[in-house]
Amino acid sequence: MDGSAAAVLLAVRDLCHRGHRLLTHPLAGSVKPNETPYKSILLSDAASGTDADSVQLIEKAIAVSDQFGPIRRNWRERELLDFQTVDASLLAAALESAGWNGNNTF
Amino acid sequence: MKLELGYVRVSDVCFGDSSSFRDGVLTLDTEALRSMLLENEKIADVRFEIAKPGERTRITPVKDVIQPRVKVEGPGGIFPGVIGKVDTVGSGKTYALEGMGVVTVGKIVGFQEGIIDMSGPGADYTPFSKLINLVLVITPAEGLPQHEYEQAVRLAGLKTAAWIGELAREAVPSRTVVYETPGIPEGLRRYPELPRVGYVLMLQSQGLLHDTYVYGVDAKKILPTLLSPTELMDGAVISGNCVSACDKNTTYHHLNNGVIEDLYAKHGTELNFVGVIITNETVYLADKQRSSDYTAKLCEFLGLDGAIISQEGFGNPDTDLIMNCRKLEAKGIKTVIITDEYAGRDGRSQSLADSDPAADACVTGGNANMPITLPPMDRVIGTLDYVTRIAGGSENSLQPDGSIVAELQVITGATNETGFNRLSAR
Repeated sequence: MDGSAAAVLLAVRDLCHRGHRLLTHPLAGSVKPNETPYKSILLSDAASGTDADSVQLIEKAIAVSDQFGPIRRNWRERELLDFQTVDASLLAAALESAGWNGNNTF
Repeated sequence: MKLELGYVRVSDVCFGDSSSFRDGVLTLDTEALRSMLLENEKIADVRFEIAKPGERTRITPVKDVIQPRVKVEGPGGIFPGVIGKVDTVGSGKTYALEGMGVVTVGKIVGFQEGIIDMSGPGADYTPFSKLINLVLVITPAEGLPQHEYEQAVRLAGLKTAAWIGELAREAVPSRTVVYETPGIPEGLRRYPELPRVGYVLMLQSQGLLHDTYVYGVDAKKILPTLLSPTELMDGAVISGNCVSACDKNTTYHHLNNGVIEDLYAKHGTELNFVGVIITNETVYLADKQRSSDYTAKLCEFLGLDGAIISQEGFGNPDTDLIMNCRKLEAKGIKTVIITDEYAGRDGRSQSLADSDPAADACVTGGNANMPITLPPMDRVIGTLDYVTRIAGGSENSLQPDGSIVAELQVITGATNETGFNRLSAR
């Protein structure tokens, strides 16, 4: 989605309330919420009853993100690429753990 | 398992035509060292510099700090599975070169490397300002992807530390400490009255550039397991991550883990130090559950009465920390957690991203958000190009006079979560 990393967290919260489960930690990586413009979070494709653990976890992540506030720096192109690399590598580690083969769903 | 650790004091480091270690003075033939490191085609160039305590010198962007060591007796070599063969280490005799560090410098991801000031207020916050540092400024081959650059820098630092360690093989240690952990039945027989205490060491392991290695294995692929504390002293665990400077465990921390040393100091008198349980900090939630369940199960199998749990990093790992704490406490194992805080510049915000009533004994390494002003230095090893980019810095970090206004998190080791630091508060 087009928006801030904080906006991604809010969108994920909506999905959790609709019954999707969080599969990765919303604060993955050591990059602080007020530093990175990118955020990838893995959710279950299947939606059933609301998963309380997922809702709690995303709420805590939003609280941390609010505490840090918005990004206060104008990143250069090279740094944006660094942030993309880190975000992509964290997502790749999660996809490997999930056993994703490019087609299957969770 | 029993290890004699001989501390060999390094009183000076200098460059010369040949390499030697005599009467505490380490002389380095940098051309020989350089050609060894340039055998790795991923490295385009290496520059060597020496930084001493008290100098007006700033080192940045710092990736890792390593203490040179050499295995003089017993199986295996230093940094097993990476530099040495993969034999089980932790017994016999090892020499540690006390008073110096090998510091690797390179811009891998611009926002994740740290600063070491050798004097001034910043120096108080990093234990590495007290060392004579051999700094390796490493330029990667053109177009090298970041994770390969990280690997090249990691290996260069470890190779250099092992290479220097070899020079001290025939040295005479100024002091020797014997560390011994008995097997489980022997420990029970020897210390039937003492509480059985373990150390849960959490390792950063979230993905590329966030990894730690155990006998050469990527820690995110391990199940929690048991190590003799002495295995860490021989470099069984090494740092391979580019996460926040203030609270990452460098390889130096793993070699000189203060929790382990303090537990040994009380071993046999106040407590029975059973061993180290290493576990990971992953991104995938099912992995977190598996690892924390497994950690709690191992602690239960070991019959622990208590455990110290140390974290590495912030945010996502807070969840692993609290899961480990809660699950151990649920099994009746008392825990003390060691963490650090991101409590805002005024220290008033929530410190951790997760919490639980079971976490009622907590030691903090400090508030990483605390603002600090680092005065200008006469010499910069590396480059200041990234100080406005580093985590904890800002657009205005670099002042016209060369001073840096930033948060404590820019300083390597400032809020280390094994408590490896000199500052404390009441």
